[in-house]
Amino acid sequence: MITILRAISRNLINEKFSVVNRVCFPQQLTYFHSGATLRCDVKPEENVNSSESNNLTADEIKKRQNDRTQVIPVETSMRYLKSSAYKETYGDQLVWEQYRRNHKGAIPPRKTRKTCIRKGVISTGNPCPICRDEYLVLDHRNIDLLQQFISPHTGQILSYSKTGLCQKKHFQLTVAVERARDYGLITFDVPFREFDLDEYYGKAEVKKE
Amino acid sequence: MFLRQIYNYANLRASFHALQRAASSTGNTGTASATLLYNRDPQPRFTDPETQKLLQSMTQLQLEKIFQKTTVPDNSVDYKLMTMDMLEDEFRKSIERAKNRLQMPPVVQMKKDERRIISNDSALSGFSDTKYVITDITYGLRQTERKVVVRQTDGTLEHAPMEITKRMHQLYFPLTGRSIRTPRMFADEHLQRCLDEQKYLFILNRMVVQFDPFEPEFHTISSRVYQHINETKQFDILRSTRHFGPMTFFFAWHRCIDDLLYDMVRRDYLQNAAELIALLYKLHDMEPNYKNILKQIDEIKPKEDLALKELEKALKRASSDVKEDIQSAIGKTQVDFELDDLCLPFIEDYISKHALKKVQLELATQTIKEINAEKRQLFEGISKAHGVA
Ligand SMILES: [Zn+2]
Repeated sequence: MITILRAISRNLINEKFSVVNRVCFPQQLTYFHSGATLRCDVKPEENVNSSESNNLTADEIKKRQNDRTQVIPVETSMRYLKSSAYKETYGDQLVWEQYRRNHKGAIPPRKTRKTCIRKGVISTGNPCPICRDEYLVLDHRNIDLLQQFISPHTGQILSYSKTGLCQKKHFQLTVAVERARDYGLITFDVPFREFDLDEYYGKAEVKKE
Repeated sequence: MFLRQIYNYANLRASFHALQRAASSTGNTGTASATLLYNRDPQPRFTDPETQKLLQSMTQLQLEKIFQKTTVPDNSVDYKLMTMDMLEDEFRKSIERAKNRLQMPPVVQMKKDERRIISNDSALSGFSDTKYVITDITYGLRQTERKVVVRQTDGTLEHAPMEITKRMHQLYFPLTGRSIRTPRMFADEHLQRCLDEQKYLFILNRMVVQFDPFEPEFHTISSRVYQHINETKQFDILRSTRHFGPMTFFFAWHRCIDDLLYDMVRRDYLQNAAELIALLYKLHDMEPNYKNILKQIDEIKPKEDLALKELEKALKRASSDVKEDIQSAIGKTQVDFELDDLCLPFIEDYISKHALKKVQLELATQTIKEINAEKRQLFEGISKAHGVA
């Protein structure tokens, strides 16, 4: 499992995430797109000193990558899902498909963890599929992402026991999907309404008799 | 005291319920300026048996479209062992079910809200600082028979306005799929976006559940959808759904059938095209001779159910019939050719007399004529070669 993740992220490392016009530099293996690495490229002087950033201690690098205080706009996330960087990270698979939960023993706990991010920092070694990639933003406009969490057979939201989302993100997901349905962004099968025609045409039929 | 009054009025036997503070709502009114609406009551014309028959025939019954895959919570499948008779019976039942799915939503006049006061009890004025809504929740009543009344703060007892009535009905007798608050999808800009994405079927299905046929929103939204379809010419999306009939009726009523007619001719649904013209003549009392052609079509048309035949074909595949093989290879039967012969002059007559997009339609009929002539030649040639009369 871990080797697969490694392989994915190795691809990722060589990738320039051109969507935001910033360059993503290789920092460490097994990390998904995180804003921390990108943010240091925003300022040109830091860009120049990129060799210096490689000299940061392991602790500092880890701190940067686990930082989740920056808010990524939905528009960026929507572009990211269409970008080649996303394609290389996940291939044709769904965002949650390769994720495995960490738990002791054979039987996983009923519920997933409450949240992966505490005080703006990733507080776990195995963050859920949404939390691990900073560019996945749950919002009703981000249909490409929401569709991945809706079952094509039942039309319902997939359970967190399948997707591995933390409770917080799963709640955000249900809200986003409900909003998207409200706005008509996601189509679904509307239940069939059978009309009692007499209720509407009643009088006319009485006349005919 | 006022309770007794309500008892007397609405015949509430067992149950009544008071709801405090009927919150005012924000009704959204679409831009009705550009949308075509029915100028008078369309219902008698719509429910007319002949109109219904025409509309049903134009809708067509395509089983694979009606029973297409849908997302349902329960995806279990039943497997049964059946005899031939039971299977045929099951086929008939599924056709019946398909026809049920094609039930057209009622086309009725828009209802206007009017204040209907039951009694004016000025003695009660100021009894409370909120108004009371009283709903009859007796079991087994129809929604239209259910009384919802409001006691205003000044003591007036009156029938609740439509909007409150609807909300109360949804509160006590929820209709699956309808929400108490109108989905934001039906607000102007979002509806326009949905239309541009061509989610016609979704909009119409949701509208049918969300609104009642006599509500103004039902009329404005449906007319907007139909007009948008007329512009994009995506009539095939609605074909063989419950909305095709009302849409056709809408076009015929507003005399803008040319695009639909063109689509029908291009797809070689000549019988439907003739029926569409007949419907137009019928609604506007033009050219009374349309009845003749309908009668002739009826006489020629095979009496048996085509959809049923299609289903049973799978069973009888073993016994190969040359005639049927030829028909399936060409896609048309002898009867179809006869129908075409009958319909084409009728359509051409309409085009020359009333059509607005003459050139386009004439070209389409000309092409379809040539294609059909070719097919006919082929059909006759093969029939002769196989010795089938
Ligand atoms: Zn998480």
